[in-house]
Amino acid sequence: MKRLGRLAAAIAAFAVATTAAAQSPRIEPAPGALPVPNVGGPPDAGTPPSVPVEPTTPELIVDLSRARVSITSAFQGESILMFGMFDPPGEIVVVVQGPAARETVMRKQRVLGLWLNTGRQSFDDVPAYYAIAASQPLQRLLARGAGGEILSLADRLSTIKPATPRDADALAAFRSGLVEVKRREGLYPAAIGQVTVQAGRLFRVDLPFPSRLPEGVYDIKAYLLRDGKIVAAVSRPLPVGKVGFSAQLAGWADNEGPLYGLGAILMALLAGWLGGAVLRRL
Amino acid sequence: MEIYLPIAEQSMNVFVLLGLGAAAGLLAGMFGVGGGFLATPLLIFVGIPPAVAVASQANQVVANSVSSLQVQLRRGNVDLRMGLVLLLGGMIGSSAGVSLFTYLKRIGQIDFVIAVLYVVMLSTIGFLMLAESLRTYLKRRRNPEAPRGKLHTHYLVHRLPLKLRFYKSKLYISALLPIGLGFVIGILSAILGVGGGFVLVPAMIYLLGMPTAVVIGTSNFQILFVAANVTFLQAATNGTVDVVLALLLILGGVVGAPIGARLAARLPGVVLRGLMSLLILAVAAELLTELLRTPSSPYSLGTREVLP
Repeated sequence: MKRLGRLAAAIAAFAVATTAAAQSPRIEPAPGALPVPNVGGPPDAGTPPSVPVEPTTPELIVDLSRARVSITSAFQGESILMFGMFDPPGEIVVVVQGPAARETVMRKQRVLGLWLNTGRQSFDDVPAYYAIAASQPLQRLLARGAGGEILSLADRLSTIKPATPRDADALAAFRSGLVEVKRREGLYPAAIGQVTVQAGRLFRVDLPFPSRLPEGVYDIKAYLLRDGKIVAAVSRPLPVGKVGFSAQLAGWADNEGPLYGLGAILMALLAGWLGGAVLRRL
Repeated sequence: MEIYLPIAEQSMNVFVLLGLGAAAGLLAGMFGVGGGFLATPLLIFVGIPPAVAVASQANQVVANSVSSLQVQLRRGNVDLRMGLVLLLGGMIGSSAGVSLFTYLKRIGQIDFVIAVLYVVMLSTIGFLMLAESLRTYLKRRRNPEAPRGKLHTHYLVHRLPLKLRFYKSKLYISALLPIGLGFVIGILSAILGVGGGFVLVPAMIYLLGMPTAVVIGTSNFQILFVAANVTFLQAATNGTVDVVLALLLILGGVVGAPIGARLAARLPGVVLRGLMSLLILAVAAELLTELLRTPSSPYSLGTREVLP
């Protein structure tokens, strides 16, 4: 995984140099996301020269604006830019998936007037995050030949396995409950993101990540579609993790619980003692 | 200014947390109680997961009680013998409480139990305090010279076995009583993240019949160790103690406490207790409506488990 990231970074250095120059003038003409790929719109004659440099150009090259999402003590969510280049014609679909884990959905019911959890259902292989972005409405792109491995959120969630068996209706209800909660937390964005295509061959898409983001290695996969068929796909891992002080603390809390507890007590004793001493001087 | 809380796993406004700490400190300064019983529900209101709120609040209680204990020790207001007997019950209670907490968390009922316990506890205390302060107020109005009534108590206390002599408290009572009391407070402390002073202090005065002078110091002594035990066990078994959150609350408390103490010196005690009881009842009412109101969504998620 790490080696792949390094390799990606090497390609990125090249890609960034070309796209960075091309991006800045483009943001002005397209303030919202334009659904129509505006081929040859704004003046950007400077883009192509870098393309012919490589002799065997792959059909799809992508990279991310950042190699990882760092959850620091100032983290409030982050937007990652995926950008790249493809051989026209074609359309781009990007699927972002968070690490899979077991999730337990709980359902409240009114019992004697009070709302409390009465039902629960666990599912395995639930992605922590799931988002799709496309350069054209997804139905239109996939209508003709179905995109194979490209799954809408509903399709993806139909593959998660219940940890305990239950009848289909009840499972469907819990599954929709899962989507509801994840959506509220911004982890399953309802809207399909907009991939903007420039000059017919350059694309970019902003991928928003909320502040309550589960840690792990996310997978961002870009697909090149022609006539509803996948002709190329490139995957980029995106590690999401706490860094610095937060990471240190969370790591201690997870792995060294008792020691962390002692530290917490010591911190409180010290703060309380000092605080008390200072207060009496005032 | 937002800060990311590493254990609660979300960012939160620093000033909201400092303000909460200050409010708790204010109460501590005004009434000599820890303020945890108000801070924990408020933390839950602002969106901290209840399990993290309770465990981190216990950590804050450690700081709070050590700074009070400092003063009490110096004044010699701690009945160590009574404190140790209470602590015996407290340690057993808080350890049992953390196990109970872990179990309730696993079956997904911890939030409900926390809310229900708070509603029961806060409304009981709130009404008792309100009634008491109204009664005192009316009595004083009728006859300003009347001395404060002293509760004369005679319970079954004296019949229980295992009697111990507590010299400082001038008591000769069964050790089972303070042990039982400590046990109950320990459980409350573990599940609700409170020190339990607001239950312990009246119980020591009215139930055990301890002289008021040593009550505060002795309860502080017991609370310090019980809260430390809860912090340790929560960190070791549930990993829910957020030290960043706790530190912000402590810092807020340092600012709030002297303001509370100054306010307390200015306002008459009856008014003070009346205000406090109203505040407690308001929090209880809010928690109760949360329980009664149809939630925007009946669904919620438990903890994610990454399988190997």
